[in-house]
Amino acid sequence: MKAFEEVNRALEDEELQLALGKASLSSQLKVEEVLRSRPELAELAKEVREIKKRSIARLDELIEQAMNSLRAVKATPHFAEGAERAREIVGKLVGSGKLVVLSKSMAAAEVGLREHLQSLGNEVWETDLGELLVQLEGSKPMHTITPAVHMTRRRAMELLRKAGARVEGESIEAAVRAAREFLREKIVRAHVGITGANALAADTGALVTVENESNIRLVSGAPPLHIAIVPVDKIVPTLMDAVKVAMVQAAYAGLYPPTYINIVAGPSSTADIERTRVYGAQGPVEQHVVLLDNGRLAARGGPFEEQLLCVRCGRCQYECPVWVHTANHWGGPVYGGPMGLAWTAITHDELEAGKLSFLCLGCGRCDEACPVSIPISRMARELRRRALTLGKP
Amino acid sequence: MPLEPAAAAQLVAENMRRSGFPLPAPSDVAYAWARPLNLPARGSPMLYTGALYQLMPYAVSLLEYTSRLEGTAVSSLALKVSRYFTQLAAIAIRPDERLKAYVERVLRSIVRLLERSGIKVAYPYEDDLYSGALLYDLGLDELFAEQAKKVYKALKARGAQEVITVDPHTTHMLRSIYPKYVDGFDLTVRSYLEVLSVSPSQAGKGEVVIHDPCLYARWENVVEQPRRLLEGAGYQVLEPRRSRRMTYCCGGPIEGIAPKMAKKIARVRLAELSERSKHIVTLCPICYVNLWGAAEGEKVSDIALLLAGEEG
Repeated sequence: MKAFEEVNRALEDEELQLALGKASLSSQLKVEEVLRSRPELAELAKEVREIKKRSIARLDELIEQAMNSLRAVKATPHFAEGAERAREIVGKLVGSGKLVVLSKSMAAAEVGLREHLQSLGNEVWETDLGELLVQLEGSKPMHTITPAVHMTRRRAMELLRKAGARVEGESIEAAVRAAREFLREKIVRAHVGITGANALAADTGALVTVENESNIRLVSGAPPLHIAIVPVDKIVPTLMDAVKVAMVQAAYAGLYPPTYINIVAGPSSTADIERTRVYGAQGPVEQHVVLLDNGRLAARGGPFEEQLLCVRCGRCQYECPVWVHTANHWGGPVYGGPMGLAWTAITHDELEAGKLSFLCLGCGRCDEACPVSIPISRMARELRRRALTLGKP
Repeated sequence: MPLEPAAAAQLVAENMRRSGFPLPAPSDVAYAWARPLNLPARGSPMLYTGALYQLMPYAVSLLEYTSRLEGTAVSSLALKVSRYFTQLAAIAIRPDERLKAYVERVLRSIVRLLERSGIKVAYPYEDDLYSGALLYDLGLDELFAEQAKKVYKALKARGAQEVITVDPHTTHMLRSIYPKYVDGFDLTVRSYLEVLSVSPSQAGKGEVVIHDPCLYARWENVVEQPRRLLEGAGYQVLEPRRSRRMTYCCGGPIEGIAPKMAKKIARVRLAELSERSKHIVTLCPICYVNLWGAAEGEKVSDIALLLAGEEG
């Protein structure tokens, strides 16, 4: 069967099997440890579920409020109904012949932003190390948080060297140092920085991101133009809510405490001369936020609505007995694994998700692992039911 | 890939219509084991197996058969026309005899265990119908709803008020899913592991490692009882790294659609279990078959046989 061909190839790839076995064990132990030592985080996750549920219920209103708040902090909001419109908006803002740096964003991958900007004649670089490796390999992110989970150090070095990074020696430290040097030069010269967001606060227009590498703060803070692409399901009522979402995402990804939580509300500014506010201090002169729908609003009230609560921690992937043998070779073209099934149905093609859902064991480990209790395995069953009813898988 | 999802679903649906079972099997497959026991055919509590244990020897043979057919001219034609395939398979498939004897011993042990706990059960013989678990999992909802109503009606007609089940899938279907599909569902459903009396812990039988089935552990809260029962039977119960609510699947549910993947998952689980003990206890026929089929030196035992002292 065609839909499983990619999966079958993955099963035969011994290097991949080894890498995934190691990564999933390490992630499982790390998250367990974080949750054991910080019981308050499980409580926070419950709170975040409620926050997200309430947000989805009044999403139209929150979108409008967020757009007004963004204007109030001198950012420019845009609304993209679909992937094409998102590409068009960002394409127009960037133009051509520019140097663009991206921080890892599944939303950018969802709309094919990097490829689009390249096709317009821009030089585009991913700055998250894992995502850079994926870019250099010409593949796709294999996990939501750790996109290069499928690669060994040997492969990573090979790719970095081929791109021109000066990796001295064979240690992982040397690779990271080389990547830092390689990217730093691009970030400093970049005309445009593009990020995603973990959450957007409707009350303030503040974008919240969480990270360890510090690339997001550089990408959103150094170039004169900052563009954020934010799926509408990430809008929550308040800045406090948004920070909570980021904390939970980090904890359930096993990255706790996160090294950085960034709050960005509008372009940089100063009022140091005669208390006159001027935009464009050391950071961006201009900030644009593209709110991406792409099937999310239509998913409300439907069988996959609860997927909109997802905080993209990727824990369901590392805990899934199937995913740990396939990585994102299973689940859909962009989003993979258990969470990928419903995201694929919402943002891409329900029937394709339906076909892939037959590989789900229905074992429910993902349901247990999910910080916001999304009934992932139940939705996979619903995908199978609909695939058998609506079309031949 | 031996069976494509649509072909598998079609095959299951076709078999249900022909025989009332999701795969080719003789009409007395569900109750042949109970004939010599002469249990009362009406009453309550009613032992209801839902035929899952009994179908496993046929499932194993069917999967071997479809794997053998893979890539041949017969397979591509027969899988497209599931009606012919069903007929072909019904003739060609003989149950795995070792497994058939094993599951019959398990079921008889369960009756004995219930008797030892002072529970005399009725048994519905011809009405020990298939629960429809696979129909539900595949998403064949119309067929499932039909089957659920049929099972409920048959059990009620035989005087059941309380139903005692023997495996996690059937328990989950009757206890948690049937009420959503059958109007006025009012049966009390418990797994035999929940009704057996627990003896005080004793030592002497050695160590076993427990493999929690997903449905008991995550949906039906049958977690502590099996451990207490095993301890009462003299076993020291060891826990694998992933157990109870975070237990790890045996891979069995996708055996028909992705056997290679199912086997890989089973091997991962077996390796983890055998870090604690080479003697593995299962509580579900699908787990038993999938772990047993992938075992490389590990011993896999159904819990009923250990509790009944039939296997050590």
